[in-house]
Amino acid sequence: MSENDVVAAAKERLEASGLPSDWLDTPVHWGVKAKEQATPENGGLRFEYLNVDVYGEVPEYWENNTEIPRGAIPDTRTEQMGYSIFNKSEVWSDLCAGLYEDAIADRWNSSADIPWESLEPIGSDLERAVCQIATLMSEYGWTKAQTTGRWLQEISYGYIEVKLFLGTVVFDAARLYEVWRKRALANGGGLGRGGRNWKFLPLTQSYTFSEFCVASIMHDAMLIALLRHGEQLAQTDAERTIYELCQQDIERHLAYFVDHMRYLMLKEPIRREEIHRYLNKAEWYLAKDGDDTLYSALAVVMGDGREGAEEAMADVAELRREQVETYLGYLRQCHLGDRDDRLNEELRKWAGMVELEEEEKIPV
Amino acid sequence: MVTADKLDELQLEPEVPELDLSWLNLDTEWGVNAEPGRKGLTLQQINKTLYGDIPATSEDSSARPRGAAPPEGATPRMTPWVLGEATETFSESAGLLYDEAVSRQWSSATDIPWDTLDELPEDIERAMAQLCTSLTEVEFIAGDVPGKWLPRIAADHFESGLFLMSQVMDEARHTDVFRKRALANGGGLLLQGGGGGLRQILEAEDFTQMSSMLHILGEGFVQSLFRLGELIAHNEAEKRIFRLAAQDESRHVAFGVTHLKYTLDNQPDKAEEVHWTLDMFENTIVDPDQANPGLAGALVYLLGDGDVDEGWRLFWHVRRKQVLEYLHRLDVAGLGGRLESGRLHPALVGALDEN
Repeated sequence: MSENDVVAAAKERLEASGLPSDWLDTPVHWGVKAKEQATPENGGLRFEYLNVDVYGEVPEYWENNTEIPRGAIPDTRTEQMGYSIFNKSEVWSDLCAGLYEDAIADRWNSSADIPWESLEPIGSDLERAVCQIATLMSEYGWTKAQTTGRWLQEISYGYIEVKLFLGTVVFDAARLYEVWRKRALANGGGLGRGGRNWKFLPLTQSYTFSEFCVASIMHDAMLIALLRHGEQLAQTDAERTIYELCQQDIERHLAYFVDHMRYLMLKEPIRREEIHRYLNKAEWYLAKDGDDTLYSALAVVMGDGREGAEEAMADVAELRREQVETYLGYLRQCHLGDRDDRLNEELRKWAGMVELEEEEKIPV
Repeated sequence: MVTADKLDELQLEPEVPELDLSWLNLDTEWGVNAEPGRKGLTLQQINKTLYGDIPATSEDSSARPRGAAPPEGATPRMTPWVLGEATETFSESAGLLYDEAVSRQWSSATDIPWDTLDELPEDIERAMAQLCTSLTEVEFIAGDVPGKWLPRIAADHFESGLFLMSQVMDEARHTDVFRKRALANGGGLLLQGGGGGLRQILEAEDFTQMSSMLHILGEGFVQSLFRLGELIAHNEAEKRIFRLAAQDESRHVAFGVTHLKYTLDNQPDKAEEVHWTLDMFENTIVDPDQANPGLAGALVYLLGDGDVDEGWRLFWHVRRKQVLEYLHRLDVAGLGGRLESGRLHPALVGALDEN
């Protein structure tokens, strides 16, 4: 019996039984064999390998407001689902599918993958400082998960790769929250003082996804610059591992946010000034937050106790300068290099940048 | 124009932050030594300390971790509204379920033996592709819902938040693995479903109502189906997909059941509201107008391996199991008696008939 005959016979049996059978011979793009690329050398069946033919065509504008999978045949009875993002330029990065699979491949478990047994008493001041840092790290993890999660219901299936990747960001942020909480409660200490949270408002208040992305670039860049000092800041192997694993996760997040913003700037250069306004706001809140407990705690760690903290503040200032430079570096990758000249005055002081005279400003 | 050399010249010493050591003298709980247990340093281990005390009511809408000292100075409201009552979102198993989720993550790229997918007859491949089209669609919404609720979870009840974060990840993987299966073996994506009640879950503005629909009824039915995946699968890859997805769904169902139990134990007058929600949702999922035509047909076809009569017989076997397990879960949650009181939708009552 030919394949056509098999399908025709199947249709007949279903119809005789009162079951719908349209799905059996509906005209669809057929014959995709993604499994052929699923070799161990290729990392198994990665999501990128599905993007062939019509299934890989990511539209500039996605017209369907239901949960229809990209490439499937619509059912016009389905209710609208309330998505609000239909422009590719608002969310897209070519890196998403790969980063999603990388996140899964790099997954770790804070219960079992941290050598907790390496923790040892480190003195009261140091323990308090580590716990203060841990408290603020947890707080950011919580905020990051909450604020990323809320965008999921806005993004349609047309950009499925983005949503899958954001799912990993939410999960990574959960781990950022709990691994630092665990550190605070595992070595004779406790939690410290919460932050003021003003600096997080640009994340919670964002009206557009790209606004959320640039605020995330700022916060993640500040964090990654700190995490890169893990070797210097860690007191034990447990902390060293925490710094390394968190850094690995945040690097992935930044890779997406930066590549997306680069895409947006190329596709919609007219939005440059609008994006600068979001950055103005994010930087202003960060500078105005005025919560120095993080930097003071870092000084106690770098100074090996409260006695050395005053002297260590110069190193802390250097770290904070690196944070701002790291942030500006990521913005340059997004084709937002003109931010150097528009940086918030307070952050400019953090970075040791002089206020440029008007005529010296780099033309935009 | 400013050159790089010029910029170097313009570099000043960075401003030094103010040193404030007041946080060295906080009166938060101190001297905590959570120790790793058999499964490492889990949330259960750290919750054995005073930091495990869960407030029945949280007044805090900030991101401050439970047990941390409040900051000095003014703080903003982070979200328009946060569900501060534990009865609204909490589950005593949430921490445990989160720990389990973290330790049982799997990869659809490498943990599924894709090389076991052999050529299938055209009708069977189409049926599997249709089933997977419907499932990737359902799982897509199942990931949107917890994302929507995350900003409303109080940081003092972080265990529920962490669980929902792990659910977002699980649903991403389910959305992905069923799309992969549809496109892996010479097939494609077929017909979209007709909604099937997904919108009602998204629409809910009460967490317990949402959870009753999503976790207990919706994912409960899906889990019962996945646990019978052996009946649907034609190769080891498909069996593994259903087995691993069922394992994830079990956690989601367990969260729903334990959350409802917590809520009803502490707020028994919520029961009627949940009954009402289930009246509505049962009605939706059995409504022929809402039904997903492709899903039902493909499922029957796969269950019977092309023999439609046998497929129907097994379909009713699956449906009966779904309803029995649903009623059992409600019993465990403290919401028993839907069948006896005549509230269970007649179409679901009918499914209990062994004939």
